[in-house]
Amino acid sequence: MAQIVVDRVRHIYRPPRGKPVPALEDVSLEVREREFLALLGPSGCGKSTLLYLIGGFLPVEGGGIAVDGKPVAAPGPDRGIVFQHFALFPWKTVRGNILYGLERQGMAPAERQRRAQQFIDLVGLRGFEDSFPSHLSGGMKQRAALARTLAFDPKILLMDEPFGALDAQTRHLMQTELLGIWRRTPKTVIFVTHDVQEAVYLADRVAVMSARPGRIKSIVDIKLDKDDPNVFKAKAFVDQVDAIWGLVKEEAIKAQGVHGAPTGRAS
Amino acid sequence: MAAVDVAPSPELPSARALHTTLRLGARVGSIVVLLVAWELLARSGLFTSFQLPRLSDVLARIWHDALAGDLALNTAVTIGRAMLGFAIAAVAGVVLGLAISRLAVARWFFDPIVSIGFPMPKIAFLPVIILWLGVYNTAKLTMIVFDAIFPVIAATVIALQGVERELIWSARNMGASERQLLWQVMLPAALPQIMTGLQVALPLSLIVAVFTEMKMGGYGLGAAMETAARFANSVGVFAGIVEISVVGYVLVKAMALIRRRLLIWHQEAAESSGT
Amino acid sequence: MKTLLRYAPLLILAIGWELVARLELVSNDALPPLTQVATAWLDLIRDGDLVPNGLASLWRGAAGLGLAIAIGGALGILMARWKAVNVIFGPLVEMFYPVPKSALIPVTVIWLGMGNGSKILLIALGCMIPVTIGAFNGARAAEQTLIWSARSMGADRLRTLWDVVMPSALPELLNGIRTALALAFILLVSSEFIAAQDGVGYLISSLGDDGNYASMYAVVLTVALCGFAADRLYQMFMQRMLIWRL
Repeated sequence: MAQIVVDRVRHIYRPPRGKPVPALEDVSLEVREREFLALLGPSGCGKSTLLYLIGGFLPVEGGGIAVDGKPVAAPGPDRGIVFQHFALFPWKTVRGNILYGLERQGMAPAERQRRAQQFIDLVGLRGFEDSFPSHLSGGMKQRAALARTLAFDPKILLMDEPFGALDAQTRHLMQTELLGIWRRTPKTVIFVTHDVQEAVYLADRVAVMSARPGRIKSIVDIKLDKDDPNVFKAKAFVDQVDAIWGLVKEEAIKAQGVHGAPTGRAS
Repeated sequence: MAAVDVAPSPELPSARALHTTLRLGARVGSIVVLLVAWELLARSGLFTSFQLPRLSDVLARIWHDALAGDLALNTAVTIGRAMLGFAIAAVAGVVLGLAISRLAVARWFFDPIVSIGFPMPKIAFLPVIILWLGVYNTAKLTMIVFDAIFPVIAATVIALQGVERELIWSARNMGASERQLLWQVMLPAALPQIMTGLQVALPLSLIVAVFTEMKMGGYGLGAAMETAARFANSVGVFAGIVEISVVGYVLVKAMALIRRRLLIWHQEAAESSGT
Repeated sequence: MKTLLRYAPLLILAIGWELVARLELVSNDALPPLTQVATAWLDLIRDGDLVPNGLASLWRGAAGLGLAIAIGGALGILMARWKAVNVIFGPLVEMFYPVPKSALIPVTVIWLGMGNGSKILLIALGCMIPVTIGAFNGARAAEQTLIWSARSMGADRLRTLWDVVMPSALPELLNGIRTALALAFILLVSSEFIAAQDGVGYLISSLGDDGNYASMYAVVLTVALCGFAADRLYQMFMQRMLIWRL
């Protein structure tokens, strides 16, 4: 029995001014427990929307989403979310941010502090617990955001292009760290990204979405030895990236065509 | 609460016009609702006609004043006073602001005066001004200028200081003299913020004008309203509020229009349509 | 030392004042020497006129401002997050915004007389506007991702209002309150000039009517400096509250 079942879901984007636009149309997907699934697709394909639907932040408008057999109705601590722009509470310190989720869980004060410190150490932010987010670098902010979500131990982790706002070097480091953390504390992860290499490196399976309105175009199993320090150059890696990039590129070109930009180039 | 990664299709121009009309209609509609509510509330008997006179009575009073010529006279006096004070404050304020930002001596001398003067309730000085200049129009005008000049100075100084370094460097790079730099680059770049300061100073001029009239008598909407209050004529008092509010609203709107015209190039202009 | 240099122009003005007055360049009635004003100030404190009137004004101002902050802040935040509240109160706020607040003085007087009530009402009404607008804009700007994060951590709608929307709104709200603070001083003094039986505005007026100009100057300067000091103190408070900002 899959842990997350997305069944023929649709969602319409209604901007405050302008016509409604279908964002997702007939999306079906099953996510197994403890698997790392990457959601890949061109800009505007609705991958973040799908994530927000699973998280319970947006209403489903057709079909349904079930987690462990129960339909998703609202956000909750079983599905922790990590955003691209960190979403740290700027008026709280790093520690304060991490404690927040634990307070909501009703944890006892002593245990909260202990657990918060544990995760501060886990993401390597010891010494910065009492700093405010505005004083941290991008990479540090993302670690804090990660620690905050991991601390309240959600069984599902929803990640919305979490490394998108970081520079290339930091991004690389964070990817390796995330993989390490996930292996030590296995959770179901749904990871939205537009970076094919990142998806192939991190995920067990990669789901490629079509251009808007989004559907699941295809799902690819990843078979790689991720402990190989040169994995990014390994033939298996490069081949898988090429194959998946081909799928994504088709959709990216279609997406450009929809937006009215000229598509004269041959693929 | 919309999705982040889905781009909307562009709106048709006719749809946009309809939208703006609807929003305007909603605005006007809500004011109409409020006015109707006022009338009904006044008629309901919850308040005495002294506490809340009927809108119809108030409007009748305004109409009566208009016919008698009093309304036109008082309105003209008040607006004239406020605008004159505003104009003086605007010119003097910008000049002073320029001086402060360019001349170190001026900056040193005026900085504490402006920074202390700004948050002071300058109206407290009215009796001092009356002491110097008597209870005539000059005193009223001086009070207006004294109050309105501060936001203009502050806005001008901040605006000039805030001109992007790259703009200045580019102009110098292209051979502009200091004089050309000031008039052709810095002042235009500072104009939006200076205008914001002027937009603060204008309603302020009106408020102070009205108040000085209340306190010191003579002609004007403020004086008329205070007289009505002394005779316990609540219809007159409410009429005054309506008249002054209308004047205030018109002046603010006119200023916003001028701003849009002058600052067509400024991106704010595009966003503020409908303010 | 640096502060001394910064505020030196004021010292120069003070010396200038004293000289002009001593040299009788202007009549001593219109401009009594600063030293005379200073002694008058001390007398006012000792003989008791300044303190009771000052307290009367302080109480009115604080009460009115307190009401404005509590009601205006709550209203602004609710208006930003609940459409129904916005629909009802939005047009009201928009209508009151361009009304010159001094125009409300006579109305409050005919409603509540010349005592405390009319002043408190005037200040509460007038100061509510900037607070509401600040709270509204601040609450509107609360980031969706922050709210969603809190929700996903188990906070319900009411909790997120308190835990996320309010702190997010704080910078704009505090700025609105700063405007309201200055406005409170203005409305207080203005209304006490026109229709009061006690308070600093009344004191200034009556001292002027009695020809007691040195004392009048003393109170005027006191009020002006209090306004300045209040703003400065508030700025320090704001910085403390917003220490988490860049």
